[in-house]
Amino acid sequence: MMQKKVCMVGVFGAGKTCLVQQYVHSMFSAKYHSTVGVKIDRKTVTIAGTDVTLLLWDLAGRDAHQDISVSYLRGAHAILYVVDGTRRETFTQLFELKAIADAAVGPLPSCVALNKTDLSDQWVLGPADDRQLLDLGWHAVRSSAKTGEGVEAAFQWIAEHAK
Amino acid sequence: MNLESFGQTDTGKVRSNNEDQFVIGTLRKSLELHYTSLDDQSPLGNLNSSEAMFFVVADGVGGRPDGELASGAAVQSMLQYIAQTAGCFNNLDVTRENEFLERLESGVQRAHQQIQREFGGPGGAPSTTLTMATLVGQRAYLIHVGDSRAYYLHSGRLRQLTRDQTMGNYMVDAGAWTEEQAARAKVGGNLTSTVGGAEMAPEVGLVDLEPGDTLLLCSDGLTKHVDDARIATFLGRPDSAESICKALVSAALEAGGTDNVTVVVARMQ
Repeated sequence: MMQKKVCMVGVFGAGKTCLVQQYVHSMFSAKYHSTVGVKIDRKTVTIAGTDVTLLLWDLAGRDAHQDISVSYLRGAHAILYVVDGTRRETFTQLFELKAIADAAVGPLPSCVALNKTDLSDQWVLGPADDRQLLDLGWHAVRSSAKTGEGVEAAFQWIAEHAK
Repeated sequence: MNLESFGQTDTGKVRSNNEDQFVIGTLRKSLELHYTSLDDQSPLGNLNSSEAMFFVVADGVGGRPDGELASGAAVQSMLQYIAQTAGCFNNLDVTRENEFLERLESGVQRAHQQIQREFGGPGGAPSTTLTMATLVGQRAYLIHVGDSRAYYLHSGRLRQLTRDQTMGNYMVDAGAWTEEQAARAKVGGNLTSTVGGAEMAPEVGLVDLEPGDTLLLCSDGLTKHVDDARIATFLGRPDSAESICKALVSAALEAGGTDNVTVVVARMQ
């Protein structure tokens, strides 16, 4: 069966693990557990009549102690960047993270999940931010690992565009 | 990267038998050329330094007979599978890395089926936890079932690499319980996934290690008596892996030793 390695990249606490949990196990917990190294899950989807197994590499988020480890990106077919829509710094750092990833493994099909839409009263991103992503030609999806909004759409886009 | 390792197990002060098992081993599959007329030896390059170290801890599930049979059978089955898949360690490129991860999972599935086939009966088969780290180069590949644990100490900071597969954690992950509720619940510590048991869902992960890092695998006989802060203190000492193992086991015994305790320590140098 065809396999595609998809890396989840973002700042700590953006919701990478929760998105994978929701997508693979249909589960959500508000309790935060930081990822150490890489946690690997898989899910098989059908794309244009062909079964494809997505190997979801959930990378430890960038924090004050560690940057993302680019060696984990080696061999990736696509990257799902995750931004916490309630924390502007996670949006700002998105561009740095993408530059680091591009330098390490070249440009890959990428989707940006603007996550935590369920926290609408704390949302800090606006139309200008959407336009900035659009101008850069990035595909963005508003998502909530809690409600499931946009989760299937983000991974489906990744599955369809993974090289 | 050089590596120094040691392992120790103890029955503890309460149990009459030891249902824990551990293994530390190295798998080599290499070709060493002594003399040759070949001009181009590059195709043989990937056979020169193929080596993987592996560390396993298994804890037979207590409270039922044959727990030690399950842990022993699981470890032996994994070792046989590793030996058969030795070719995977050669030049572990991206494609083969995915294959290798699949094979690790297959190995655990095979151990699970073997225990059910050989020891299963009307009351079900005995079961065991299994936590295994395979070190290829600087990358540690982890496969984990149950509530034994893998930790690593990096730059003085202790991180738990595995998450206990217990009913309490399952309910927390499902958003149904808080951690406080999970800690209070009588069934919070019940295992939701074991090798040989009714449910088995291995978790797979990896981490790149650096010189100075210390890897620890242990059974819950350690963690129920020695908290993470003390574990970090022991691992942070500039001692040998053997000294650290003995100190950790002693600490668990001094704190009650209510369960079998097993510790495997590997120090990257």
